[in-house]
Amino acid sequence: MHKTAVAAALFLVGTSFVPRIASADTSITAAGSTALLPLVKAAADQYQSQHPDVKIAVSGGGSGTGINQVVQKAVDIGDSDIMAAGHPELVDHRVAAVGFALIAHPGVRVTNLTKKQIQDIFSEKVQNWKDVGGADVKITVINRPRNSGTRAVFTKTIMGDVSISSAGLTEDATGSVVTTVKSTPGAISYAAFSGTHNQQGIVELKIDGVAPTDENVQSGKYPVWSYEHMYTNGPPNAAISRFLAFVTSNSELLHKAGYILIRDMRVHESDR
Amino acid sequence: MAAIATPRIGVFATRAHRQEFIAMLVLRAASTFVVVAISALFLYLAIEGTKLFTVDHVSPFQFLFSPVFNPDANKPGSLVFIVGSLSVTLFAVLVGGPFGIAVGVFLAELAPPRMVAAMKPAIEVLVGIPSVVYGWIGLTLLVPLIRTVTGSNGFGLLAAGTVLSVMILPTVITLSEDAMRTVPNSLREGSLAMGATRWQTISRVLLPAAASGLTVAVILGIARAIGETLAVQLVIGNAAVLPQGLLGATAALPTEIVIDMAGAQQGSLLEHALFSMAFLLLLIAMALILAVRFALRKRA
Amino acid sequence: MRDAVLTLEIARAKSARGVRHRRFVDRSATTLLWCAALAVLALLTLFVGYILYLGAPAISWQFLTSPPSEVSAGGGIGPEIYNSFYILGLTLLFTVPVAVAAGIYLQEYARPGAFRTLVQFSAESLATVPSIVMGLFGLLVFVYLLRWRFSAIGGALTLTILNLPALMRVTQEALFSVPQTYREASMALGATRWGTIWRIVLPSAVGALTTGVILIAGRIFGETAALIYTAGVSVAAGKGAYDLNPFRPAETLAVHVWYTHAESVVPDVARIGNGSALVLLVMVLLFNVVARIVGRSLTRRFTGR
Repeated sequence: MHKTAVAAALFLVGTSFVPRIASADTSITAAGSTALLPLVKAAADQYQSQHPDVKIAVSGGGSGTGINQVVQKAVDIGDSDIMAAGHPELVDHRVAAVGFALIAHPGVRVTNLTKKQIQDIFSEKVQNWKDVGGADVKITVINRPRNSGTRAVFTKTIMGDVSISSAGLTEDATGSVVTTVKSTPGAISYAAFSGTHNQQGIVELKIDGVAPTDENVQSGKYPVWSYEHMYTNGPPNAAISRFLAFVTSNSELLHKAGYILIRDMRVHESDR
Repeated sequence: MAAIATPRIGVFATRAHRQEFIAMLVLRAASTFVVVAISALFLYLAIEGTKLFTVDHVSPFQFLFSPVFNPDANKPGSLVFIVGSLSVTLFAVLVGGPFGIAVGVFLAELAPPRMVAAMKPAIEVLVGIPSVVYGWIGLTLLVPLIRTVTGSNGFGLLAAGTVLSVMILPTVITLSEDAMRTVPNSLREGSLAMGATRWQTISRVLLPAAASGLTVAVILGIARAIGETLAVQLVIGNAAVLPQGLLGATAALPTEIVIDMAGAQQGSLLEHALFSMAFLLLLIAMALILAVRFALRKRA
Repeated sequence: MRDAVLTLEIARAKSARGVRHRRFVDRSATTLLWCAALAVLALLTLFVGYILYLGAPAISWQFLTSPPSEVSAGGGIGPEIYNSFYILGLTLLFTVPVAVAAGIYLQEYARPGAFRTLVQFSAESLATVPSIVMGLFGLLVFVYLLRWRFSAIGGALTLTILNLPALMRVTQEALFSVPQTYREASMALGATRWGTIWRIVLPSAVGALTTGVILIAGRIFGETAALIYTAGVSVAAGKGAYDLNPFRPAETLAVHVWYTHAESVVPDVARIGNGSALVLLVMVLLFNVVARIVGRSLTRRFTGR
């Protein structure tokens, strides 16, 4: 028995001296924005099937997580919906643009909201759908956590100076937001097109009469969109560069996953 | 020490002695590891958990008693999460506590052997069910049920408290059964000989005699409930507001940590606040252990 | 005289009513306790039945073996099952020797004193540390300090610490159940203390010990909160998912249930959650059954009982 114990102890000590086995050169890890996750994941799968020697692990966690972990070098690539301010060591790779849809439970009987109405709903000034022309159903607001890039984009483009009430429910990510909106009568939330366009059981609301479509984002009519960033800590190495180039240039993949090629955008972030 | 005192015989003396010495060393080292582990954990969390006060100069009073949690505006008030944690735990103990004690008493005093044989593995399985599965059942069965019955959105204190009530059951049952079994048989026999019914014996003699053990059962049930994370997170609604009644959505310390930690930048006020919450949870756990020791000492 | 008889009569009548009342209370209390116990069994049956009902349609060979999907429907849980066992094995590798050694020390060697009290208090404190707090500790040590990133080994070591107290307790109880006379007989024959423990006490305790270890293994298998920030929520694609290297992110099945609901955007969240929950539940049941069978046969082999 003590032999095992000694062996385990030795192993424990030993491992602390070889902590960098993980960073084998052909292994790439990426984490962050769940709005960007489908694209990176799909790209990773396709890339790995073409390059069997490369291992890519992709996970979500939110934009804050992505930036955070790439700063700490816990991952190679940090995915984010928002700019990483205050981190000069990070190198920004814009890989796509994506729109964000306002989504609601179908039972609310509303298809269009004005910006003002949205602000009222998320600040809890309006608490029933009948006050914005819908059914007599109590509104359940669902938010994303504080670190969420999606929430940041929504706040910046719709809420402005009006602050979001903290009374709403919070769901971790794009996926659980969509699931919860589907199952909760009177629910409203926001999520990236990539997570909403192919979903049954929810309605994507027009904002001031403009439908949430790629076309409207490209032309600048639809306000809620952002660039998707993939950050590296310092210039990327060759393997990561190749993968980033693969993501950015793969227009078929981008369209299928609900993203917009950057060169198709006719407006810029600064235009809003 | 004890090793050296043991008698040794003939040719094996030196080899046996050496073996004894090594065994002692290894066993002591393992025991020391336990001490080191909890010390390191406490120290690390104490350091990270107080940065909010030492680095960001937030007053502990504000952290504990302000309901405004807005780290971007330097307002890390965590009252909402503290109250949320305490409410769901209280709910769980009020429902699961008496229920669990009742079952524990049943197992120790009334249950025929066959029933005990059926219950033991059942309780073992209840312990083994992962918390995320409890959460999943809560999310897919309980939340829709509450939604249908009450017309609320289903998430909130009631759902979280109910899930927790079930989750603390095995702890409370097992420990209260143990507590009942430690009551000397003479008390039981004496009471029955005096003509008391079984229930009189249980309620007037055995329960008071086992009081400290039952207290421990409840305290450890509390410890189990207050730290539970994912089962609660899936059903509580995660709204950073004080619970508005049983049906209101709210948030608890562990759920807030698990939601916001992923994106908290290292060194940010948010990260410090979350570590302070973790440290607070650790302190609560330690306090509960001291309470257990106190309850047991009173018995001794 | 007549008064005395009357008093006696009244007392008898009263006490008869009292007896009836007491019997009624006794019966209702007994019924209530029976109901509580049956409710526990009913609850468990409900859970198992419900998860079975939800999960059974999701289970297929393809689901159990194929990699998870982050985007489209049809993802499986193959790598997650692998990782759950991988981390479980790694955890047991570390935690069993340490916990058994510490348990032996406390039960067989330590004299009452400051050190024993300290070890006991440490173990008790460690036992109440919430698993999310343990997860953050793992994050600080293995991810931030040692820079291992999210890794199977970081997760396993976190779980090692988390499960030490429970396993120590199992060891102590197993040793406690070995009759004192065994030790006395062995020592009387001239065996050393360690010799006695190694040849006599441990073999007698091995059945109970193994049962305990397997039951705890079941808990390790389903642990979630401590792993999210240590072992991570991702698996590598393709064959990389089944890597033996402990320094790689390794999402387990239990974490996957949470992650799928919370983070991923797949349209068949419910199917994956249901199926995974069923697999987890079946594993727990399996661990319980195996624990009993193995424990019994080991006890028989080592003690002849």
